[in-house]
This record gives sequence, C-alpha cells and structure tokens, in this order.
Amino acid sequence: MKELIGGNTIIQYIREHFDIEYFVCYLTACLMCSFHIFYSKPDPKAKQISIGKKKFNMDPKKGIQYLIEHGLLQETPEDVAQFLFQGEGLNKTAIGDYLGERKDFNMDVLKAFVNLHEFRGMILVQALRQFLWSFRLPGEAQKIDRMMECFAQRYCDLNSDVFKNTDTCYVLSFAIIMLNTSLHNPSVKDKPTVERFISMNRGIHDGGDLPEELLINLYDSIKNEPFKIPEDDGNDLMHTFFNPVKEGWLWKQGGRYKNWKRRWFILNDNCLYYFQYTTDKEPKGIIPLENINVREVPTEKAHKPNCFELFTGGNDIIKACKVDSDGKVVEGRHNVYRMSAGNTPEKEEWIKCIKLSINDNPFYDMLAARRKNATGSSPAE
Amino acid sequence: MGLFLSKIVEALTAFSGSDPARILMLGLDAAGKTTVLYKLKLNETVCTIPTIGFNVETVSPVKGVTFTVWDVGGQEKIRTLWRHYYQNAQGLVYVVDSADVIRMAEAKEELHAICKDIQMEGVPVVIVANKQDLPGALKTSEIADQLDMLSFRDRKWYVQGACAKTGEGIYEAMTEMARLTKLFQSKR
Repeated sequence: MKELIGGNTIIQYIREHFDIEYFVCYLTACLMCSFHIFYSKPDPKAKQISIGKKKFNMDPKKGIQYLIEHGLLQETPEDVAQFLFQGEGLNKTAIGDYLGERKDFNMDVLKAFVNLHEFRGMILVQALRQFLWSFRLPGEAQKIDRMMECFAQRYCDLNSDVFKNTDTCYVLSFAIIMLNTSLHNPSVKDKPTVERFISMNRGIHDGGDLPEELLINLYDSIKNEPFKIPEDDGNDLMHTFFNPVKEGWLWKQGGRYKNWKRRWFILNDNCLYYFQYTTDKEPKGIIPLENINVREVPTEKAHKPNCFELFTGGNDIIKACKVDSDGKVVEGRHNVYRMSAGNTPEKEEWIKCIKLSINDNPFYDMLAARRKNATGSSPAE
Repeated sequence: MGLFLSKIVEALTAFSGSDPARILMLGLDAAGKTTVLYKLKLNETVCTIPTIGFNVETVSPVKGVTFTVWDVGGQEKIRTLWRHYYQNAQGLVYVVDSADVIRMAEAKEELHAICKDIQMEGVPVVIVANKQDLPGALKTSEIADQLDMLSFRDRKWYVQGACAKTGEGIYEAMTEMARLTKLFQSKR
C-alpha cells in the first residue's frame, strides 16, 4: 500500500487519467479502502469506469467494448453517444476516431452524438465551432464528409429557415473545413482569396448561388479565427493550476525529517497541491482537504514564525500522496502538515481559504456525486 | 569560372524555383491513404502546427521535387468543391486496398469519374496497390486490369505494389510520380 501506483510518476498517472479530480477520487478511494473509513466495501464501478476510459483513450473500440462488457454502458448508439458527449476524462482525438469509423454502429453513434448538440438560433459557423470543439475532427476526407453530413442534418432540423435544403448546408460546411485547411495549414502554400472561396461555392445552393455577403462573412470569420484544436478534458488539470483559489510560496516541514522546504502551493478543487518550482507541470504532492482541519501554530512550538498546520481529528496519518526521491508516487507520511507563511496576513489568508475549501464541499460528498455521475448516465432524449 | 557559377545557379533554380507540385491523393475509405501520407512524411523534418481540417502534407520524396499532397474525396455532392483543387493538379495518387476485391469495382468507378473531370485532363496517375501483404491481395497486373487502366489513352499511369504499413513501395510510387509529373509539366 506504500506504493500506490506501481512505479508511475504523478504526472504519468494524471496524464493517463486526464482528470485531476478523478485521480484524487481514485486515490482517496484506495486510501479509504485501506483505512476502512466510510466504506466497508470499495465500489468497483468507479474504478472500472476509470479503466474503461483509460482503455478508450488508447483504443476507443476496446474501451467501449470494456465498458459494455462490464455493464457500465448499454450497447445502444444513444448510450454510447451520451458517454462521448459528456466526454469526462476522454481524449478528444480518440472520440473523433471512434465517431469517424465507417461501421454501421459507429455511424449511428455519430448521428446520436450530433443530436445531443443544441444549435438552435446559431449562425452556421458558430454551430460548427461548437461541434468541432466536442471532438477532434479526423483528417480523412471521407470521415469529414460523413461528419459534415450529420452536422448539416442536425443544423437544418433546428434552423429550418436558414438553408433551402440540407445539401446546401452540408456542402457549405464541407467547404468551410476546406477553407480552414487552406488558410491555416502551413503545408498549403497557395492561400485562397475571398473571391476564390466565392467562386468555389458557386451553384451549391440548389443550383443557384448563396448570398455573397454570407460567404464573405464566413471567409472573414475563418481567416481571423481558425477552428480551435479541442483541448482534452485532461487539460482541466492546467485549468486547475491556472485558476486557483489561492497560490503562493510557503515553507513546508518534512514528514519524517523535520526540515523546512520552500514549496509553491496551489489551492483548488478542495485540494492542496505543492510544487518545487512555480513552472513545474507536475505537483510534488497532493493533499485532499477532506476530513481534515487547519489551525494556527504558535511560533514557540514550531520554531518558525507565521505557522499553520493541517491535522486530523485523531492522530491518523493524513491521506495524501507525494512523489518520493525515486520518482514514485507514494502515500504521505504526515500526521500534521505544518507550513510557514511569509507574514501574518498571508498566514491568515491561507487559513481562511483552506477552511473555506474544507467546509465548502466535503470531499466525500464530491466523490459520491462523481460516482453517481459516472454510473447514472441517462440515455439520449 | 563565370560559366561554372552560372551553371550552379541554373541547377539550383531549376530545383527550388518553382512552387510545389499539387498532388491529389484519392481512394476509397480504408484504402490506406493516411498511412501512405504519413509514411512519406516520416523521414522529413517535422514541423507540425496542428490544424483542424483535411490531411495535407508537403513532402519531398525526390531531391528537388516538392509535392503538396491533399487527402481529398467524399461523396458525389461535394465533388464540385474539389474541382477547384483539381485545377493545376499535376498528379493523382490513387490508393487501393489490393485485398478488398469486393470494392474494386467501386474503386474503379470513382477513379474514372475523377479522371473524366476536365481539370484532370492528361494528369498522370500512380496507383498505389496497397496491402500487398494481405492474403488474397491482387497483383499489380490484376489491379491494372480491374481498374481498367488500359482505357486511359491520354495520360501516363503506373501501378505500384505497396505495403504502406511497412513503407514498402511507397518511395518507388513517389519517384514514379515525380518522373511523370516532370514529363507532364514539360508537355504543358
């Protein structure tokens, strides 16, 4: 139990799971099992879902198959589409690969997936931007073709007054993808002008032309703002670190050796993360703020000014993990986490923020909600 | 000495002066176009700024020859869009799955439909007879036959057996494409 995740570094582990909260949930689940707190039996479902997602990111077909075999997903296009649409912890390239497959089931999932999108009242390019954010569009012409056809059908169903027929919308959407490629792919040297874009789309409107103004607007929109590469859900990790509740330098006392080390702390998502440097992409340690308290420590006791500490009710080891000197992810060894801030206001601010993070959203509630979320996916409308 | 220098300059400009040739890549689903494309790219310096859209790569299979290869295709309805990309196309790489005997007729139909386009007049075609490693794969001569290549009278064509997975035959196909492209350009 010392070595939680055999030999992996924190970041490898997080990368594979693509979701920091999920990682913490998993970790806490493991620890809870070992401590026999709250749960007499571990819930294998959450773990299986996490395995299924990991499999999916490596091989979408195998991942879906795994989830179906374990009864976590129904073998219906609607259920699979819902799973992909929620996309939690899923790699968007993998979603695109799955939706692009030329198999009847995959094509049905694609249709169901598109139908989960709401495009009502949106202009075409806006709808397309939203659609192309939900998965990474594959580069094969035939796959793009199928995807644009489904997209156009949905768009026209919801906006019946925009185009005379679905085919116009489909051909135009395809043309927009071509335009984005031509304008922004560095391999294409010969960049089309707006005139060429207009002439390219001649006759696509039921034999007639689309209003020039519409095409000019489309051209400008794509030229000024290329389609964004959808970020993986896992990049929420960066979001976590970029928009913290609080961050700053603190001195942290070691668990076994009571020396003080300067660490960069980030407080977010009811977790305290610490890093060696501000530029580090991977934390050295993670402390879930659950079943925990924070209090001031008098200077005489700590032999350092402006101290505070995290402690548990009993004299238990605080559930947390860190990277040890060999780069392995191990369980933390702290009964208390003692930190020292630069000055008194800083210390008070940290205590206040940590207190709020603890009270705000008790961790096990979040875990329970997550579980419910992960298992209780409702079928498509 | 002056003569020597000018010869060097001449040789250099002949190589780098012109724009990259526009090469289209077509073929049915799962014929292996993407694999072919990225196999070509493998030995090149990779400078990837990812872009949403079609697979396009600039490749230089032979010294002095640069191709911009587009993965084009799709249903009949959007062929009108590609027509603008067929313009000034200097070559067509057509990829077929040699083992997919059932869809060979479909592959033939598509190939001939594209070649009929006015923009594609005289444009040389290299068939990449892919997946030669699979059991039941048709030989290059059989592929030429099934695709009715002999009916092409106004263009140069070549059928190259290949296995894109290992890269076998890909270099040969591109060298041939470069040769035919040069011929085609000089005729224009």
